[in-house]
Amino acid sequence: MATRDETPKAPPDGLVHVATAHPWSYAASALVVAVAYYGSAKFGLRLALVGRNITPFWPPTGIAVAAFLLLGRSVWPGVALAAFVVNLPISTDGVAALATAAGNTLAPLVAATLLAKVGFHRRIDRLRDAAAIVFVGALLSMSISASVGAGVLVVSGVLRADDLLGAWAVWWAGDAMGVLVVTPFVLSLLPPWRQPSSAPWRPLEAALLFALIATVSPVAFGADPHLMFVVIPLLGWAAWRFQQRGAAPAALLVVLVASWAAAKGVGPFRAGTLLENMLTLQAFNATVAFCSFFFAAVVTERLHAHQALERDAAKLETRVRQRTSQLSVTNLQLRNEIVEREESSRKLVQRETQLAEAQQVAHIGSWEWLIPQNRISWSDEMYRIHGYVPQSFPPTFEMAVAQVNHGDAARIRSNVEAAIRRADDHDLPNIEYRITRPNGAERVLVGKAKMRVGPNREHLRIVGTVQDVTEGRKAEREHRIAETLQRGLLPDRLPQLPGVALAASYVPAGQDMAVGGDWYDVVELPSGHVGLAIGDVAGHGLRAASTMGQLRMALRAYALEDPSPAKVVRRLDHLVSRLLESEIVTLVYLVLDMDSGLVSFANAGHPPPLVVGSGGQTAYLEDGLGSPLGCDEPGLPVEGTFRLAPDSTLLLYTDGLVEKRGISIQEGLERLASLAADGGQDIEALCETLLRSMVEGDNADDVALLAIRPVPLTGRLLLRMPAEPRVLAPLRQTLRRWLRESDANPQVANDILLACGEVCTNVIEHAYGAEEGPLEISLDVRDGTAEVIVRDQGCWRPASGLDGGHGLPLTQELMESVELSGGPQGTVVRIRRRVSSEVLS
Amino acid sequence: MSDLARVEGEQQGTLCLVRVHGEIDLSNAQEVSSAIGSVMGRESRRLVVDLSNITYLDSAGVALLLRLAERLQTRRRQLHLVVPRGSPVRRVLVFTGLPRVIPVEARLEDALVQFDAGSPDDP
Repeated sequence: MATRDETPKAPPDGLVHVATAHPWSYAASALVVAVAYYGSAKFGLRLALVGRNITPFWPPTGIAVAAFLLLGRSVWPGVALAAFVVNLPISTDGVAALATAAGNTLAPLVAATLLAKVGFHRRIDRLRDAAAIVFVGALLSMSISASVGAGVLVVSGVLRADDLLGAWAVWWAGDAMGVLVVTPFVLSLLPPWRQPSSAPWRPLEAALLFALIATVSPVAFGADPHLMFVVIPLLGWAAWRFQQRGAAPAALLVVLVASWAAAKGVGPFRAGTLLENMLTLQAFNATVAFCSFFFAAVVTERLHAHQALERDAAKLETRVRQRTSQLSVTNLQLRNEIVEREESSRKLVQRETQLAEAQQVAHIGSWEWLIPQNRISWSDEMYRIHGYVPQSFPPTFEMAVAQVNHGDAARIRSNVEAAIRRADDHDLPNIEYRITRPNGAERVLVGKAKMRVGPNREHLRIVGTVQDVTEGRKAEREHRIAETLQRGLLPDRLPQLPGVALAASYVPAGQDMAVGGDWYDVVELPSGHVGLAIGDVAGHGLRAASTMGQLRMALRAYALEDPSPAKVVRRLDHLVSRLLESEIVTLVYLVLDMDSGLVSFANAGHPPPLVVGSGGQTAYLEDGLGSPLGCDEPGLPVEGTFRLAPDSTLLLYTDGLVEKRGISIQEGLERLASLAADGGQDIEALCETLLRSMVEGDNADDVALLAIRPVPLTGRLLLRMPAEPRVLAPLRQTLRRWLRESDANPQVANDILLACGEVCTNVIEHAYGAEEGPLEISLDVRDGTAEVIVRDQGCWRPASGLDGGHGLPLTQELMESVELSGGPQGTVVRIRRRVSSEVLS
Repeated sequence: MSDLARVEGEQQGTLCLVRVHGEIDLSNAQEVSSAIGSVMGRESRRLVVDLSNITYLDSAGVALLLRLAERLQTRRRQLHLVVPRGSPVRRVLVFTGLPRVIPVEARLEDALVQFDAGSPDDP
């Protein structure tokens, strides 16, 4: 596993192989090594205990081992050269120096090679690294340089053979100490300096520690009695707190001080012999080195183990966290699933309840017949429709059919038999039939069903619905009657009145099937005037339509009798109060004298008629408004009058036109006035426009609209009427207007009026005997002469008695020309008189 | 009675004054005749029919008047008509020769004076 403090680019052991680098840099490296070796040798010789060249502590060896470990063994020439230069002055001759130098070079080379073989970590962070540098790097390898060096001294005669062992021991110990103390120190200088866990105060602690060592060590070695051991806790501190990086410099420092003390013969070395001092020093140095390295290595290893443990723990924790979060996600999903299932289950129950409720509201029951099992099931509403308590018994086909009225049962059986003969999915024919409930009530039902077959076309089941349509059928029937009644009660067509345009519309309520009680009527009065009525019976349906019919007939009867609108309305109120109790009726009734344009009217609680002038000016007739009929309230209408100018329009309507949800009646009236003012066109088109603009498709109330407009009465005019005495007065009304608008002078007009009356009277009296027949009058003015042609389809009989035979002579007296022509198809009388430039007689 | 004509009667002793308003044609001649008959009391010896307010009268009306005069004649009662000059009715009466049978005065006062002057049966 990779750790963060290792540099990925560096070789695994962190060594720099200068051989692969540039030759100059190799030479520089070798030179640096040589200089360092030489410098440290010079320093080591100052600590010599024996003569000039045997020292108890030989730093160059450590420098050489460190150089080989760091830079590679290829820098050995630097070491060899420096060793030769160092040894030349202190050797007997060049050969001896060369031999010694070879030994000094060979020993570090062997040490570096063996350390590489055993997998030495230059950081000395494991116990085995500490052991390797002590036993392989120092003790074993340095026996080479000791053997060669001591051997050379004996051979060159510097030492006696007896002293060989002692010299060897000192040499070996010095070189070993050099490796033990200096090599770790040099290696400890390697980067990285900062440890991941280093705190800001650690450099301070290090400074304090080394200051202590530097102060305590000389004191400890210089004091008497011997206090050498007091440095041991400090070394322990260094190793424990800073591991190899602290232990190595601390050990070096202490060893240097100890060696210095030995060389100077102070402190513990003051009284001892050379050998004793040597042993003491070496033992002390060895103890320092061992303790430092092993302790540091152990702490490092422990730290690494701890870190590894922490990393593992962290990883474990991360994994636990991941796993926990996975678990919690799963848990959440599970919980959601549970909630969803509960929700669906609740919805299912709710839907079933709703279905049952919907069936009840719509009076629809459903059933299913599982054919293989011959099992039938009914919904609750099925039971109710058939007059039973829901689910009170298991239904059967025979039992159900037994309730069906005789003729319908056969149809149901034949439908089911036909379905069984077919082997596919299909719909059975819809069927309307009657059943009798146990309590005797008859219901009308509509049944629908489907056959369902299985994969092998075997019959599986028949499913179906049954709807109770009894109320609907009843309502439909009533509606049809009411509508027929109302249509029959409204005028099927308006009378053709000369000199006035009439238009009327009735729109039934669009929202439901209700029939309203609105009506209008146009009555030709005996006086020749025309009566116009519009009214509204409160409520809808058969009752309102029937009341409306009675009122219409009553109004006609009273109108024929009485020329006063107020009196007619009063009589109607009497009728409604006495005979049509609890009915509220609004009504406006007007009488129009078409000759003069004079209108008299009475309004019993009805929306006011609207007058629209030919220029678009509008006015509502709000005078004399009384309370509705049948109110039992005083306040019957007062008769109002006004003059309807030619080409003005009088609009009568019911409240359905102006009353609408969302707008006030006032707004409705204003809207009607403004629409009517703009629609100065043909009267039929005006009515159509008003209905289209004011009535929406789903009008809640029915609407009746009646419009009348006096139009010019000139030029050729053809009038047809029954030959009856009652037509004479209205005919005179028309004729008077026609003559006036044709600019006839009053006396001539009077003569023509009289002459025409005589001719028509003759037809009425004689043309058809006791039979009925038509009377046709054509009026025209040509070249200033008025011509009246009266036709009948009867036979002409000369004046006989009742009128004293005055008719024809009188006509001849009044007119300029009278022509009679008769035949089997009837008689034509043509009379003429100049109407302009007439000289009064 | 329809609104075409209206008949008002006034009894002054043996004199009966009847005012007819409106129009008289075939459709209401019989009605008007009956109405006049009903307003005239049994004691009436003289009848004045004021046609000043009649706006239309045709041969049917003339026939009505002639029959009325005939009926009164058989009961020895007198009939006078009042028709102002310039009335449209006057032309009809003139053209039919009615004034030759029934006295027609232009003013009501003249008719009343006529009765006073020429009533031989008066005591």
